[in-house]
Amino acid sequence: MARLNDDAQWIVLMGFLVSFSFFFLAIIINQSTVVGQTTAESVIEFPKNDIRDVRQVIGQSVNISSNFENVRKDVAVLSMSRKSAVVEYTNFTAANATYIQIHYNNGVTEYNENWTVV
Amino acid sequence: MVKNDGGQLYTIEGFAAGLIMVITAYLVVNATSVYTAGDTHINDMQLEALGSDAQKMMDVAPNSTDSISPLQEIIAYTPANAENATFNTIFRDYTNRIGAGPNHDIQFIANYTCRNSDNTTSIYPLASIPLRHLSGGEHTVKATKWVIVNKDVCGNAQNRAVLVEVLLWRD
Repeated sequence: MARLNDDAQWIVLMGFLVSFSFFFLAIIINQSTVVGQTTAESVIEFPKNDIRDVRQVIGQSVNISSNFENVRKDVAVLSMSRKSAVVEYTNFTAANATYIQIHYNNGVTEYNENWTVV
Repeated sequence: MVKNDGGQLYTIEGFAAGLIMVITAYLVVNATSVYTAGDTHINDMQLEALGSDAQKMMDVAPNSTDSISPLQEIIAYTPANAENATFNTIFRDYTNRIGAGPNHDIQFIANYTCRNSDNTTSIYPLASIPLRHLSGGEHTVKATKWVIVNKDVCGNAQNRAVLVEVLLWRD
């Protein structure tokens, strides 16, 4: 049996280092494919525009108090049938201030607000 | 001068290792521009934002003396089931399909929904770009806008909220 040859241990060690770096680089490449998906998908799924839009129309509807109830039903029915979202809001006056309570839920995102109109 | 031809295998190995490292660096730098299936959502997101912004601008009165916005006027004065040329023009202008500068190849169909007195809903068309039938292969996004109109929608001549929906896609 040949004697143990312990030459070139630095070369073997460097070989290990290089192979480990390949391994981590492969992980980085692997992760890069999902980055665009997760960010863009979360932006699309988050109903920021829907909530801002429904807040705006609720604000307008309070000013046309004569038909407030009809607009409230419009928003509730159309949100359910066209946007798959539950939108309910009420307004009430207490201590000389008008409050609007908004509830929005589309199954993924829930938004509740108590809005003081003064 | 002494000619020393020892260690030639080490030199070759060094070159080979250097080459591998350079190629790896090239592959890693290049990997960031890989266009994956998930990246298509970025285009959808931008198209949806564009349609949403255009609708929002259409619901702003052009002058402080105007009492209603172009979008309110369009819905109020378009007969049911008729298309409106003004909506078509303004929306195409706002999405850069027409007008000065580089034009987009955006196609769209717009309609609005209102509530009937028995709590059912009715959809009426507003405008559409394509002069052809849809194939079903279009990759569409939807942008919506709530509008309060004071006109006869769904048989109710009062202030009512309607939902304007625009289906957008690129050719």
